Amino acid sequence: MASPAVVEISRWQFAVTAVFHMSFPALTVGLSAFLAVMYTIHLRTGNPLYLQIFRFWKKIFAVGFGLGVVAGAVMTFEFGLNWGGYAHAVGPILGVIIGMEVITAFFLEAGFIGIMLYGDGRVRPRTMAFACWMLVVGTLLSTTWILAANSWMQDPVGFTEVGGQFRPDDWWHVLFNPAFTYRFPHILLAVLISAAWFIGGIAAWYLVKQRALPFARRTLSIALGVLAILMPVQLYVGDQTAGFMGAHQPAKLEAFEGNWKTDNNGYNLLVVPDTGKGENRVHVEIPHLGAVIGKDLSGKANVPGLLRTPKDERPNMWSAFYGFRAMYFTALAMFAMAFAGVVLRLRGRLYTARRFHRLMVWMAPAGVVAISGGWITAETGRQPWVVYGLIRTGDAVSRLSLGAAISSLTGFVTVYALLLGLWIRYIVRTVRTGPEHLLADVGTTAHPSEVSCA
Amino acid sequence: MLEYASYALVLLALGAYLLLDGYDLGIGILSLFDRSDRRRKEYNELIATAWDANESWLILAGVALWAGLPGVYATVLPGVYLPLVVMLLAIVMRGAAIELQSATPGYRRGWGLVFGLASLVAALCQGLVVGALLSGLPHRGGMFTGGTWDWLTPYSALTALGMACLHLLAGAAWLQDKTTGTAHHRAGRLGRPLLLAVAGACVVLGVGLRFSDPQHFRFDQTLRAALFGVAVAVAAVCGLTAWYGFGRRPDWRPFAAVAGAEAAGLLALVAATAPVVVPPDLTVRAAAAPHASQMFLVIGVGGCMPVVLAYNVYAWWVFRGKFSPPPETAPAADPSDATATAAAQRPAAVAQAPGDGPRAVVVARRVLLTLLGVALAAVSQDVFGGKGTWIGPTAIAVCGVTALAVWIRSDRRAAADGYFDLGTAEK
Repeated sequence: MASPAVVEISRWQFAVTAVFHMSFPALTVGLSAFLAVMYTIHLRTGNPLYLQIFRFWKKIFAVGFGLGVVAGAVMTFEFGLNWGGYAHAVGPILGVIIGMEVITAFFLEAGFIGIMLYGDGRVRPRTMAFACWMLVVGTLLSTTWILAANSWMQDPVGFTEVGGQFRPDDWWHVLFNPAFTYRFPHILLAVLISAAWFIGGIAAWYLVKQRALPFARRTLSIALGVLAILMPVQLYVGDQTAGFMGAHQPAKLEAFEGNWKTDNNGYNLLVVPDTGKGENRVHVEIPHLGAVIGKDLSGKANVPGLLRTPKDERPNMWSAFYGFRAMYFTALAMFAMAFAGVVLRLRGRLYTARRFHRLMVWMAPAGVVAISGGWITAETGRQPWVVYGLIRTGDAVSRLSLGAAISSLTGFVTVYALLLGLWIRYIVRTVRTGPEHLLADVGTTAHPSEVSCA
Repeated sequence: MLEYASYALVLLALGAYLLLDGYDLGIGILSLFDRSDRRRKEYNELIATAWDANESWLILAGVALWAGLPGVYATVLPGVYLPLVVMLLAIVMRGAAIELQSATPGYRRGWGLVFGLASLVAALCQGLVVGALLSGLPHRGGMFTGGTWDWLTPYSALTALGMACLHLLAGAAWLQDKTTGTAHHRAGRLGRPLLLAVAGACVVLGVGLRFSDPQHFRFDQTLRAALFGVAVAVAAVCGLTAWYGFGRRPDWRPFAAVAGAEAAGLLALVAATAPVVVPPDLTVRAAAAPHASQMFLVIGVGGCMPVVLAYNVYAWWVFRGKFSPPPETAPAADPSDATATAAAQRPAAVAQAPGDGPRAVVVARRVLLTLLGVALAAVSQDVFGGKGTWIGPTAIAVCGVTALAVWIRSDRRAAADGYFDLGTAEK
C-alpha cells in the first residue's frame, strides 16, 4: 500500500483541516442560538438593547459562519482525496449520514443565513426571527449527524462486511450507536459552553475598558448564567464519556491517563513518554487522585496502563495525553470561573469586579481550546484504527505520490494559518469598533421593514 | 434501479452547482475586469446573500457521490487530486474574501482581487477535473491506480478554458438580471461573444471527446441517439434564446436560457456516456453502494429535496429583482459616547467601597469558597459514583437550580438598578 510517509502527511493534513474547521462550529452553533434568543427577546419586548446585541454579534457570526462553511466543504472532499480506501469501505454508511447532514442541515443554514444577514428591511421582523431559529435547527442537526458519523467510527455497530466494504444492516443502530449516546451530549454542551465563553470574554473586555456598559453587562450576565448551569453538567457528562471509552476503547483511556504499567493510583499532571521502551522518562503526579477520579474513594485502585494493549494497537501517548490535559485543565479553569461568577453575583459585584473581568477576557477562547484538545484525544486515541477495530489508518489512505501529499498539506497549512490570522484580526477590529456604533438608529427604526415588505 | 436514482441525485446536485455557483464564479471573474470600485463592491454584495447556498450544491454532489457511488468517489478524487485541492483552496479563499469584503463598510481592493482570482482559479480547476474525468482514470478494485499528473491532458486544458467561458456566460446573464446602469449595459454586450465562445468550446470539446475518451460510444442504440439528439437540440434552442435575449428586455431571459442550455448539455453528456461514470469502464452498477444505503439516501435526501428547493426559492424570492444595497444602519454617534469618560470613573470607586472586613475574614472566606468549588467540581465528576449513581446527578441538579435562581435574582436586581438601560445607564 501507500508509503508510511504519505500516511503520516495525510494524517497531519486531516488533523489540521479538521481542527481548523471544528473551531468555527465550536462558536457558531452556540452563537446562532444566542442570536436567535436575542432577536426573539427584542421582538417581544421591543428593547433596543437586544437589537444592539443582535447586530453586534451578527457581524462576528457572519464571518465565522462563512469560514466554517468553506472549511467544511474541504472536509467533505478530503475523505475521498487522501483516504480513498476509507471512502470506499465506509461510503455506504458514513457517506449516507453526511449526505443527510448536507441536505437537512447545510442547506437549511445556507438558505436562511442570507435572510438573517441581509434580510433587514427586506423581510418582516417575524420572518427574521424565523430565519434565526431555522439556523439554530440547522446547526443542531448538523452537530447531530456529524456526531453520529464520528461516533460510528469510534464504536461501529449495525453493519456487515462484504469484500472490504461495510454495509448497513440496521440504520437505527448505526445512527444511535452506543458511543453517540455519550459523545453527542458532551459535544453539544461543549459547543454551547465555548460560545458562552467567547461572548462572556468579549463582554468582559468592554467592562474592563468601560465601554458599551449596558451591552457588556447584559451579555456577561447571560454568558455566565448559562455557564454556571452547564459547567457542572459538562464535567459529569465528560466523566461518563471517559468511563464509556475506558470500557469500549481501553487503549484510549490508557493513553490519555499517561500510564504504561498498571501500578499507579496517582493522577499524572505531566509525562514525558518513551514509546520505544514503554515507560515514562518523567512524570509528575498527584498520588491517589487517579483512583479517586476513577470512583475509588479509598484511593488504592490503579489506573490501567498502556502496556495492556498489544504493541501494534497502541495509540500515541503524547497526543492523547496532552490533548486530554488541554481539555481537562481548561475545563477546570472554566468551572472555577463559572463558580466565581456565581459568588460574585451573590455578593452583587459581578459588574464591578475588575480582576475577574480581566481574567474573563483571557477565557474567551477557552472553549475552543478545550474542544480542540478533546477532539485530538478522541481521534488520535483511536489510532492505529480509523474505524475502531476494523480498518487501520495505514490501509485507508489513497495511492498518492509523496510530492502531491506534501504540496497539498503545505497549501492547506498556509491558507489556514492566513485565515486564522485574518479571523482573529477581524474579531479584534470588530470588537474595537464596538457595538455603540450599531446603536444609532435602533431607537427610531426598530421595525423599518413593516413598510417595505409588500 | 436505485443506483440510477442516486446517480440522478448526483447529477441534479452537480447541475444545480454548475448553474448557481457558475454564475457567482462568473461574476467573480468579471469583477476582475471592472475598474469601478463601487461596481465591484456591488458584485460582491450581489453574491454575498447566496454564495454559501450555491456552494452547498457542490457539497451535496460530493457527498451523494460518496454515499451512492462510493466506487466513483474513491476513484475520482485521488485521480484529480491536485486540481481538486487547488479548487478547494480557491473556494476557501473566495468565501473568506466575500465575507470580509461584505463586513467592511468601504471597498477593499485586496479582497476584491482575491475574490476575482480565486473565482478564476476555481473555475479553471473545475474544468481540469471534468476534463480529466472525461479522459478516463485508471483504476482497480475501487481505487485509483494512475499517476499524480494523469489529469493534465490537452483535453482537460481545453475543458478548463471552456468551463471558465461557461461560468462567465452565466455570470453575465445573472448580471443582466440583477443590476442596472453600467453593469447591466456591459453584461448585455458581453453576453453574445461569451455565447459564441461557449458554443465553440462545446463543438471542439464534443468532437474531441471521441478521441480523448477511451470508451466506445454506443450511438447505434436508438434510444440513446434520440435522447442525445433531443438534448443537443434543446441546448441549441436555449443558446439561441440567450443570444436573442442579451441586451433586451425582459432581463431574466438570458439567465433562464443559459440555465436551460446547461441542463440540456449535461443531459446530452449523460445520454452519451451512461451507464459509464468513469471512462473507460466504471459503470453506475459497479460503483454503487449496497441496497440499504441507496434506499436511505434516496428516501432521506430525495424526501428532503422538495423542502430544500422550497426554501431556496423563498430565499431567492426575498432577494428578487434588481440589486439594491441593504438599508444602511447609519453610523451616528452613540448618546453614551459623550458620557462614557465620566462613567469610567464611577465603578472603580464602587469596587473598593463595600466592606471586605478584616484580612483574616477575607482569607478565610476565600479558602472556604475554594474548598467548596473543589468539592463541587469533584461531585460533578461523579467521584461518588462508586457509592451511589444518584449522587452525581442529584448534586448537579441542585447546582443547576441554585445557579439559575442566583442568575434570575441578580438579573432582576441589575435591571431594577438600571444596569441594562441603554439610555439611563450612563447618567
